[in-house]
Formats: sequence, C-alpha cells, structure tokens
Amino acid sequence: MSVPPTTPRPRLRDEVRHALFDQADRVTASAEARATTSDLSIDEELNLHSIGWEPVELVSGVSLHSIPFGYWNWGQGEIEGASMAHATAFVNATTHLLREAGAAGGHGVVGVRIDRAVHSTFVEVSLVGTAVRPVNRSRRLERGVFASDLSARDFTMLMVAGWEPLGLATGASFVFAPRRSMGAAIQQQSQNVELTNFTEAMYSAREAAMQRMQEMAIEMHGTGVVDVKVQEGPMSFASHAVGFVALGTVVRLAQAAHRLIDPTMVVALDDASVAFDARTLS
Amino acid sequence: MSEGPLDLPEAAQRRFSQGAFSSGLSVSDFGACLDMGLEPVGLVQGFCAMHWGAYSMSGLGRGTTPFTGAPGAAHGYVQNYQCPHGMISSEHRTWGQNYQQNWIEDAWRTGFNSAYSRMMAEAQALGAHGVVGVIDGENPLSDTGVVEFHLRGTAVRVLDAPAPSATPWSTFLAGQRLAKSFEAGYAPVSIITAVTSVRVWSYCVTEYLLGGTGGMWANAGAAEIHQIVDAQNEVRDLARTRVRASLHGDVLHGAHLEVSAREIGPGDVEFQSRLSGNRVRRFKDFDPLPVPRPTVRLS
Amino acid sequence: MTSPTSDLPEATEHRLEELEKGLFTSDLSVNEFLLIKEVGFHPVGFVMGSSIYHTGLQTRKWSQSQELTKLTEAMYNARELAMTRMEEEANELGADGVVGVRLDVNYYEWGKDAAEFIAVGTAVKAEDGVSRRNQLGKPFTSDLSGQDFWTLRQTGYLPQGLVMGTCVYHIAHRGLGQTLGTTGQNVELPNFTQALYEARELAMTRMQDEAARLGASGIVGVRLEEKSHQWGSHTIEFLALGTAVTKTSENVTLPTPTTIISLDN
Repeated sequence: MSVPPTTPRPRLRDEVRHALFDQADRVTASAEARATTSDLSIDEELNLHSIGWEPVELVSGVSLHSIPFGYWNWGQGEIEGASMAHATAFVNATTHLLREAGAAGGHGVVGVRIDRAVHSTFVEVSLVGTAVRPVNRSRRLERGVFASDLSARDFTMLMVAGWEPLGLATGASFVFAPRRSMGAAIQQQSQNVELTNFTEAMYSAREAAMQRMQEMAIEMHGTGVVDVKVQEGPMSFASHAVGFVALGTVVRLAQAAHRLIDPTMVVALDDASVAFDARTLS
Repeated sequence: MSEGPLDLPEAAQRRFSQGAFSSGLSVSDFGACLDMGLEPVGLVQGFCAMHWGAYSMSGLGRGTTPFTGAPGAAHGYVQNYQCPHGMISSEHRTWGQNYQQNWIEDAWRTGFNSAYSRMMAEAQALGAHGVVGVIDGENPLSDTGVVEFHLRGTAVRVLDAPAPSATPWSTFLAGQRLAKSFEAGYAPVSIITAVTSVRVWSYCVTEYLLGGTGGMWANAGAAEIHQIVDAQNEVRDLARTRVRASLHGDVLHGAHLEVSAREIGPGDVEFQSRLSGNRVRRFKDFDPLPVPRPTVRLS
Repeated sequence: MTSPTSDLPEATEHRLEELEKGLFTSDLSVNEFLLIKEVGFHPVGFVMGSSIYHTGLQTRKWSQSQELTKLTEAMYNARELAMTRMEEEANELGADGVVGVRLDVNYYEWGKDAAEFIAVGTAVKAEDGVSRRNQLGKPFTSDLSGQDFWTLRQTGYLPQGLVMGTCVYHIAHRGLGQTLGTTGQNVELPNFTQALYEARELAMTRMQDEAARLGASGIVGVRLEEKSHQWGSHTIEFLALGTAVTKTSENVTLPTPTTIISLDN
C-alpha cells in the first residue's frame, strides 16, 4: 500500500492555536450530515488513518437464545441443542451488528468486544465495535461487511502486510462426559489416573468446535483464522458436561503476496508507570 | 473574574486566589500540555450529591395490565408482549412490557449536569480556555442512600491567546493523547455522557425461554428470546440516539459503551446503558500520517 | 617528610576514595537510574522516615456534617513527621532531593487507633555540585518516578517538595423522616453536595498553602484520595497530594517523536 508523502507538519503549538481559535467559527458539519461516533482510542484512529481508513459509527448487536430445560441432563455424546443455541445466538448478534454497520456505510467492524455467557437455560452474546471504511468511501463493498475482534492496531498491521479480515468465525460444542461405572470410580479414588471419560469428551468437543470454526472460515473464502481464542472446561452448572468454544478472525491475502513489515528493534526506557491513563486517577 | 459564579464554594474561591497552579495531570501529560502551548491553571472539580431512590416509580409496581400513563411513557420507548397461549392463571404472565424509564434518565442527567456545570464554573473563574483530563463517576456515599456525581479535570489556558469568550471546552483526553487528537484534525468541544434505562416486565414466553421450560408450550422450545433482545438492543440504541442528538454534526471520539443489568424482582429487570466519549470537531481535512514504524522491544 | 595523606595505609586510601565516589543504594529500577543520570543527578541513598501516631477519636454529631479538626491535625502531623525524618536522612547524605517518595499508612494489630506513617524514597544529588535544594534550604521531595523526573526536567521545571493537605470530615447520618420523605425521588441534596465540596476544597487549599510556602509556581500530579481508614463509613479523610514545582529554565521543547507501532504483546 503506497502512502502519499506528507507535507511537513506545522509546529504542534501553532496547530493547536489554529484549531482552537482560527477555526472556532468553522460551521459544524451540517445538521443532516451523519455524525461520526467511535470507541477507538486516538492511537487506533491514527493507525487507521495511516492506511487511509476512518471510523464511521459505534455499532452493537445482542442475542439471547434459549436452551430448553433438561438438555444438560445425563445423556451421551454431544448436547446438540446447546451447541446450536450458541451458534444461533452468535450469528444473530453478528447479523445485527453488521446490519447496523452496513446502514452506516461501514465496510467492516473492528475491535469487536465480545461478551459471551452460557447459562443452563440460555446463551447470551453481546458485541460492540466500531464500523470503519476507507476515507469517504461510503459505497458498500460487493462482498458485504466484515466483523473482526482484532484491534484497530492489529487491523492496520494486517492490512500493511497485504492481508484483509473477512469476518468472525466461531465454533462451539458441548459434550457429555460418559458416567464411570461405580466400580471404576471406587477403584480410581485413591489413584492418580487419567480420567479417560473426561479426556475423551474434551477431545470430542474440541474437534467438533474447531471443525465448525474452520467450516465458517472456508465458507467466507478465508485462508486462515488468526488470534483464535478458546475457552474450554466443564460447565459450571453441569459438571458432567464439558464445553469448548473457539473464536477468531478469518483472514486472507488481499494482495499478490505477503509484504514484509521489517520491524525496527528498540530498547524501551519506560516502565509501566508511563502508560498513564487519566481515568484511572480517581 | 472578580465575582465568582454563585455555585462556587467559598473554599474554592480561596484556592483560586492563590498564586500557584495545581494540576491533576501526570508529569508526562503535564509536559505534553506545555508542549502544545496549554498552560495548566488549576485542578477543577464539580460535585452533586443526590438522593437515589429505589428506582421504583413512586409506588407504581407491576400492575395487572400494561401501563400507558407512566411518566414520560408517551414519548419514550414502549413495547408490549401478548401471551400466545390463551390461558388464564395467576402463575401465567399473560402480558409483558419493555419501557424506557425516562425519570431515571432525567435524574441521572440532573446529577451529572449539575456536577459538570460546577466544574465548568470553576474553570471559568480561573479564566481557562478548556478543561483536560476529565474524570467522571458516580459513587454511592456510605449507607446513606446518597449517590455523589463527581467530575474532576485540569483547567488550561492557551498561551498567548485572547481571553476566553465562550464556555470552556472539555475533554477526557490529556497529554500526548490530546496532542495526537489535534494532529488527527480534531479540536475538543466537550465531554458527553448519556445514561438510558429500559425496564423489562417479562411475559410468559420470556419466562419459559429463560427458565428453559418452553418445551411445555410446544412452539417455544429453542428460540431467540425476543423480549430481552429487543430491550438490550433498544437500551444501546437509545443511548446512541441521545448522544447523537447532542453532537450537532460533530464527531464522538473515544466512546465507551457499557450496559448493566439489575434484577429488581422475579421477571422484573432493568437494563442501563451508559455511553460516554469526547465530542470533537474536525478542523482540518483528512491528512494521513506516515505509516508508523513497527518496532519489537529488545528485552 | 611525606605529606600526611600518604601516611594512610593504601587500603584506607582506597576505601575513602570509594566512599567519596559514593556507594549508593536505591530502589530505582535500572531504567529510572539511567534517566536520572541523564539529567545530571546521582542517587546517594535509600532514605526513609516513619512515625507511629495515635489518632484519637473525636466526638461526632450524628446529624451534622462537619470537619473533625483534631483528626485532621493528627493525620497531617503524622505524615509531616515521617516526611521530615526522611528529609533529615537525605540532608545527612548531602542530597539535593528525594525522588520516588511513597507515603503509606499501616495499621497494626497491636495498637487500636494507632497507625504507622511511613515515607520512603531515593535521595539524589546534582552532579555539577550546584545546590538544587528548595528555598527553605532543604532537599526537595517528590513522588515522581525516574521517568517522570526526566520528563519534568525536559520541560524546564524542578520539584520543590511533595505537598499535601488533608481534611477529615464527618458526613451526617440522615434521619428516618428525611429518608422516607424523599423515597422514590432522585433529587439533589444540596447540604451533602456543599459539605463534600467544602471538605475537598479544604484539603486542596491546604496543599496549595504548602506549595506557596515553598515559593512553587505550581503543583503537578495532584491526587485526591478518599479513605475511611478505621473510622466507619461516615467519616472520610480527603487527602490531596502532589509535587510542587518551579520553573528553573526556559522550556526545552520535547523532540518531535517518531511514530512507532509496537509489535510486542
């Protein structure tokens, strides 16, 4: 991506005076113009600007999907109703998010904050992010709007390297851990042995969840999923069931070839104290 | 300014009459401000202690029918839900309702705005052009049923600039972040915060779906829980609409949106959404910065 | 006759030489150490001061918001004592100032209403031999980190002293009648607003009085802490703390930073 050479910047101090006084009468954007809203930090916004993108609107999407009572009771194999509820809630929340982003003229949503909770009788998914687009290009892309939980910073680096995000992929699977026979349980009580039933259930949940995430990625014509986050373990409300959820951003190469970013080595002299945020003061 | 604004406590007047400035800025932010030509003139603050009731509508509990005459209901969000089962029982909630609680939003705005205008009055008394590094919050005050709204920031004057003519501007940003936002072409206007509240009185279908007992009613086994989804999306949307209405075409930068849920009773939930950020005005056209140089730390 | 100094055994000479060069102790990190050297200071020692203080009780009127002046004085004097003792240590080391001061209050099992106030920091001395003490002739104190100290020097300011002001305030309990009277209404309680306002402003004014005594031109990094310590929730200490500074040279404009993006996690 070629960046136009920039003119030498005016001194910061002059710029600030200019902004605060000379421009004071500059008419605010006309009332009918849609105001931009964004939850990006100034660093993130500058990162976006450096590749010619800008924020458009803060968007969100929420979905709750029920899991009928009894699904978690003893059984065998996958708890399909729960896996399905998770998938549907995720898709519904994403659809709402993307609809809002599309309506605002965004090409994608970056930095999506994902709050997810699996309760015994319902799944809750809530997404918040900022819709972005190449500067002043409100025309929608043919292929639709993407969502990504990558920060604006990561998005920038990805684009600089010639890649593009395509969407969020997720896979969830909830599986019963087969009950051990009474005899086996007593035998194992005082021994350090592998609980093969749990291992097997975990494996099966992991395979199914990863498989589903990959399928979503392939459907989006992605060539990879980055920054995959997984959550696994027994369910807090049903200890005989285990769950595995995987989530990541689908990417593919947008250019002919990957571009090396050639990082510079630095030695930082700042300790953590320099990362100051006025809001933590109170 | 000789006569201070009415609201300013005597102690603040005394503090401002002294020579030394105070600033809540960290040293790096202080340095960055000086670099920008912003000179700190004093730490300014504003408070408002409010009685914070039990959020109930003065005795109007959940009635037997959806209400229509609630305060503000006429111009707020209201959505009704009707039982599809056609059965009557005291256990069975035949109707449900989502509604916007305008009176909570109004009370919240009163508290916030009072604290804000007091802080700005202090800034004006100091002859400041703006207030940077604002921190805001509401704290319950011990066990008194009192909530205190507080705002704090550092008032600044622009070096070698004409005396301020209008209300000072304000921003949550300070230091380098503020400098960078100027470089990005944004001039600060004011901080913006809005709180909206939606109350949910659930009806049978919502109850069954949340409780997982929808299977009894054949068609409501596994489904999206519309009433809650509506409320959740609406409470976010209301907050954004409210903020948008006060932007007047400007930009909301560095927004933060959070939603909390509070269960008031069985089948009775309040969702509160809080959206805050910096209202900023674009003062120059888009001018991309050079692509930052990627670095890897050697340690 | 040889000169008297050469009478000293070789080892002693060597030792004195070492001490003159100064062996130092400090709780500064390596980064902080390097940055302090960068602006022409050298650490001379880790200094501390403490005072164990009995903070007696003061009767509070149930229904009245008021300052508890005795407690205010106790809290202030105890900290002041700890700070002064730390300053004395720095003084003995011939230091120009103390950086990275931390001010803590500890409560121990053994003393009800007794608290230990501690001040610790690293004493530093200017390498060019010119005194950088404050106008009272004492070493300056500051809660600035090494990084902050470096940055502050870049702006042409020098710390004069860690300044503080405190105010212990009792907040009125509300009578039952009052509570019932306003149930369900979210309205402002002007008396509360006013009382809390007053308490904070008092703390800040006192802090500023200290800065004025040092002839400082400003206070940076002001923090406002609100703590109930062990007095129950209706009695609150409002503590304002900051570093008083004075301009010693013209602004040194910060160099134009390079825009970087860190690839570290």
